[in-house]
Amino acid sequence: MSAAGLERPQLVSHVQQALSYTLFDCKWVPRSARLLCLGSAARGTGLLQLYELRGGRLALLREIEKAKPIKCGTFGATSLQQRYLATGDFGGNLNIWNLEVPEIPVYSVKGHKEIINSIDGVGGLGIGEGAPEIVTGSRDGTVKVWDPRQKDIPVANMEPVQGESKRDCWTVTFGNAYNQEERVVCAGYDNGDIKLFDLKTMSLRWETNIKNGVCSLEFDRKDVNMNKLVATSLEGKFHVFDMRTQHPTKGFASVSEKAQKSTIWQVRHLPQNRDIFMTSGGAGSLHLWKYEYPAQRSKKDSEGAEMGVAGSVSLLQNVTLSTQPISSLDWSPDKKGLCVCGAFDQTVRVLIVTKLNKV
Amino acid sequence: MGDESVPFLLDQGTTKTYQIPIGHLDYKFIEKCTDVKHLEKILRVLRSGEEGCYPDLTLFCEKRIEHLDPRSRALRRDKPAATASDFTAEEWETINGELMSWVTEMNEDDKKPQFLRTDTLHERQDNLPPIRCSSSCLPANQNKKLQNKERNKKNIPRDYSEWDKFDVEKECSKIDEGCEESNSKARFFSRPSLPIIEKKIDTTGMTKKEKIFIATREKEKGNEAFASGDYMEAVIYYTRSISVIPTAAAYNNKAQAEIKLQDWDSALQDCEKVLDMEPVNVKALMRRATVHNQLQNYQTAVEDLNKVLCVEPENAIAKKYLLEIEKKLKGLKPVSETQGKGKRILIQDIEDSDGDEKRGENTEEHERSGRDKKIVVPVRGEADAGEAAMGNAQRKFHSKGGGSKAEDGETQKQKEPTESRLKKGTAEKKSQKHLPDREGEVNGYLHSDQKSESPEAEKVSTSHGAGSQSAGGGRSTSLPPTAAKLKSEGNELFKSGQFGEAVLKYSEAIEYVIGLGEQSPDDLSILYSNRAACYLKEGNCADCIQDCNRALELQPFSLKPLLRRAMANESMERYRQAYIDYKTVLQIDSSIQAANDSANRITKTLIDRDGPSWREKLPPIPVVPVAAQLHRWDGGNFTSENKPRSATDINREEQLQMNREKAEEKFKTLKNEGNDFVKKGKYEEAVNKYSECMKLNNEECTIYTNRALCYLKLYKYEEAKQDCDHVLQIEDSNIKAFYRRALAYKGLQNYQASVDDFNKVLLIDPNVLEAKKELEEVTQLLNLDSSAVAGSQQKQRKKITIQEVAECDEQEERQFATSEDVVTDHVTSEEAVQKSVPLKTSKKLHISEPSNAYDFGQIINAVKSNKDKAACADLLTITDPKKLPVLLSNKLEGEMFLIFIQSLECYIVGKDPGLVYQHLFYLSKVERFKVVLALLSKNEKKQVQQLFDLLSENQNNQYSLEDLESLKKVYEL
Repeated sequence: MSAAGLERPQLVSHVQQALSYTLFDCKWVPRSARLLCLGSAARGTGLLQLYELRGGRLALLREIEKAKPIKCGTFGATSLQQRYLATGDFGGNLNIWNLEVPEIPVYSVKGHKEIINSIDGVGGLGIGEGAPEIVTGSRDGTVKVWDPRQKDIPVANMEPVQGESKRDCWTVTFGNAYNQEERVVCAGYDNGDIKLFDLKTMSLRWETNIKNGVCSLEFDRKDVNMNKLVATSLEGKFHVFDMRTQHPTKGFASVSEKAQKSTIWQVRHLPQNRDIFMTSGGAGSLHLWKYEYPAQRSKKDSEGAEMGVAGSVSLLQNVTLSTQPISSLDWSPDKKGLCVCGAFDQTVRVLIVTKLNKV
Repeated sequence: MGDESVPFLLDQGTTKTYQIPIGHLDYKFIEKCTDVKHLEKILRVLRSGEEGCYPDLTLFCEKRIEHLDPRSRALRRDKPAATASDFTAEEWETINGELMSWVTEMNEDDKKPQFLRTDTLHERQDNLPPIRCSSSCLPANQNKKLQNKERNKKNIPRDYSEWDKFDVEKECSKIDEGCEESNSKARFFSRPSLPIIEKKIDTTGMTKKEKIFIATREKEKGNEAFASGDYMEAVIYYTRSISVIPTAAAYNNKAQAEIKLQDWDSALQDCEKVLDMEPVNVKALMRRATVHNQLQNYQTAVEDLNKVLCVEPENAIAKKYLLEIEKKLKGLKPVSETQGKGKRILIQDIEDSDGDEKRGENTEEHERSGRDKKIVVPVRGEADAGEAAMGNAQRKFHSKGGGSKAEDGETQKQKEPTESRLKKGTAEKKSQKHLPDREGEVNGYLHSDQKSESPEAEKVSTSHGAGSQSAGGGRSTSLPPTAAKLKSEGNELFKSGQFGEAVLKYSEAIEYVIGLGEQSPDDLSILYSNRAACYLKEGNCADCIQDCNRALELQPFSLKPLLRRAMANESMERYRQAYIDYKTVLQIDSSIQAANDSANRITKTLIDRDGPSWREKLPPIPVVPVAAQLHRWDGGNFTSENKPRSATDINREEQLQMNREKAEEKFKTLKNEGNDFVKKGKYEEAVNKYSECMKLNNEECTIYTNRALCYLKLYKYEEAKQDCDHVLQIEDSNIKAFYRRALAYKGLQNYQASVDDFNKVLLIDPNVLEAKKELEEVTQLLNLDSSAVAGSQQKQRKKITIQEVAECDEQEERQFATSEDVVTDHVTSEEAVQKSVPLKTSKKLHISEPSNAYDFGQIINAVKSNKDKAACADLLTITDPKKLPVLLSNKLEGEMFLIFIQSLECYIVGKDPGLVYQHLFYLSKVERFKVVLALLSKNEKKQVQQLFDLLSENQNNQYSLEDLESLKKVYEL
């Protein structure tokens, strides 16, 4: 057993760091061995800690306290030189920080009436063609796209029409940014709705419902022609949609897999291989998956319309790190197999995933 | 336990949760059950423990499910994160080391000031696309009506005309986005729906690191697209990666994707680019072979595969592929034979490989080895004839133009090219009669050829006398010795793939010939043509074309330069010129397969490009004079007939060849039979065949190396060695002979000699991976050997050195070793063991413990064979006693047991009785312990008893006397 077992990727816990506050999000700083922890201090303020990986431990470089608890952050819309962090906080504010001068935000806007649950960026870091843009999803039911060059007003706003009930938007993500024009935003809501907005045509391109609240959404790559989308849900299932072929009525083909009994909080694709992704679960577990394509990715239905064919998902490895949910997960963009995860047991863990090349 | 409880519970009803009959919770039931769902339920019941706890049964059930459905979800269990103990020490160190070095690198990088910062930022900003048109609002619900909120006047509006083009509704229903526009890439692949992806990435202002980062990422995207079967996208991303930084890997991958798309020409170009960067890139060679195979350039494909096999002799895919292509080659042969006229022309006769696995010593022999004599004669004849006959014709033009007097006598007699050729034809008619050893069949068809040409032959019949003279003239065309030498050197280099150097040689030869001022355009033409072949190989198409032009100026309608020029034009995508050249070639000889295929292929390309009227755009195809079409045949007969007579001035090999023809033929068949046997794995038979070969010709090295291979396979190392020795006497740098002799030495356990030979192999070609691997292995064996020898000689000393290894720094150790002569050998060999044997790899200062049962077993075997108690003690000291049962698994036996006891007694008990106790304790837990114990002799038992006595004497706080007593009982004392 051991021989076969060792051939598979292993998840190694490299560093554990206990924190004194609630951790909501953690992110690697691009082109560095540093990571950021975002959260909420006991007294109700926001905390932002910068750690550096040094010889098997995390050294705290900087701690910044802000008025509102910080829910989420992204580097997706900044250049590799600047590395400005965009954050969304409990008060609905979108801020962009220069971490070297963190006193005043570089950009700040009160974008939403309520907490910003999710944030994503594209067009920076050399990932995604086109303008740098940030998308925020909030409890107030709106999804807004921002350009850091434009003050105060979003460049696109997706909200329910007047009279419709507002759903809590839990997750947003960019995709399809393979050239200057194309770009989509995908948003997931508490009632299981997934909506795909095309920013080029400013239209709702596709929507579906996965019955349970959508906790996390991610395209396998933001900067290619939409390929796959993973959606995780409240009751422990996740769905992988093949986004290449959209059927006029059936939409995108998908495969679903039940990872565990508890909520899947996050899904993150390996930046170096889009077919491998990790999900983090409510019971403190991490699952590493691989998507396998079918022999033919599309076929013709009876009316001759192209429809997608979903592949299959196989579990590569799973570990349980904690009894508390792992709420955030981030792969290092620079070092294959290095990832960080933050759990509600107030611990941040740096993990190494081995043998990803052999998968 | 499980067995007992199950009958008791039988027929006791069903389980609480799933209502499964209790009887199903049974080994026999589970073993036979194939219903995974049911088994999963049973497993859940078993795991829950509601029917009692049966760990063995649970495990059994899990195994059964795993057997039936390895991906079953029931098998997923919570696991903690892996820790150091889940890896071997080395793996753990690699994992950690890799991360540490990355961290250091990153942290250092980060501290470097980023110069040009502001500049690049500005540049970036300038390049950014405009801000999205407005703060438009999208209804996030079913209602798809577009609601635009107030527009922001400040914003630069997007191109509205573009905006208006899109019908939202239509767009939504579109399956594939990007349908609305066709870009150049899409058109190229004739798939309109391909999305627009820029083929180039703007890298202005990027640092080198960033470029590397982006190039790598684009390549990864390509790989992913490739993995998902989207080859066109893959090609685009590889192109993007190359646009940032051209790397061999990206080109190589791109070639693979292009192969998948059957875009052979681009794939060929990319392979060649890889090979420019990395001349022995096995993948690229394999891929190029594939492309050549598809383009039906079987010879070149075979060549590439042979190169692969030179680097990786064990490459199974290459071997298989080679066989396939050889089959195709053979399949082609009969076809061309039935066509009467012959054979495929060899476009690159210089470096033509023989289609069998071995390379001959020279080109001519080479060419022959793959073919029957019947085929060989015309092929050779034609090749040389083309040269000789053209030469004559050309000389005439030349002397007229240049007014040279040197060969006036001859030129006057050769009124026109046709004449001169026909003269030769007649000359050879005569000479044929002088060759009684010719085979009737060959003669037959040569005659028929001549008959068809008889009208012209008769015309010149008057100048019979001149015929012999023209033959004499042919003799005078041979190169001056210096140039000839340069040429043959060039040929050799070409054959070995060193095209660059071959070019130099040919250039020298050309200069020399020109410098002499002699009128030998035919030779010059051949030299140019050969140099063109080199350029073509190098991918230097422009120079190739130039040389071909020169060769053709000297010798119009000469086949090889024409073909080469065609190929060069084709690879430069000058399809029209290439087409013209191929067509010209076909006019001269319509049976040239490669030209036929290429012409057809190009026709397709041209139709694609120019539409149905493509022919109109072609330049006129030159009309080949009838004479030129015929001369090949005349000339062919001429030279082949003439060879015996002009023995002195034509290549020596050729002469040899002629004399040996018959033997050669038999030799070839025997050799081929031998090779076939090797391929089938019938080594005995192959040896017999090769031995027969040797009776015919004992100078051919390949036979010996082949036989050596067979001997190696048959484990007859001594014979193998002798064969290799023989080869090396003849040819002192035969890499295969060295490699095989090394293997033979290894088999003979003469490791030192083996190492020497491997080193020689690597000296000749440092890229032979197999040799590297073998070398490592043998060095390890050698070290083991020497350490064992040293150990048995100096047991006492050994103990000391081991301790030092364990305690002091290796560096110091080495100094110590060199300072003390007596111990030197010993210590170094010991060190070597530590380095080479994974078991003892030193982790900086400490020796790490054995990692797995296999490593442990290896060391134990070494220890056992030398009865080396000291080494054993060393091993036991560094091994965690708790791991003994795992490490030994079921391999424990009497001898090993005894060595353990002895080494514990001799070396360890005095120092660390606690450890001895631990070892004894865990030793008793090892599988087969009882059996071993039962088989001990009285004497041996006594030794164990002694050890226990020593333990009780040295009793310390790590174990109590009671512990010892109970352990004694386990040991049946």
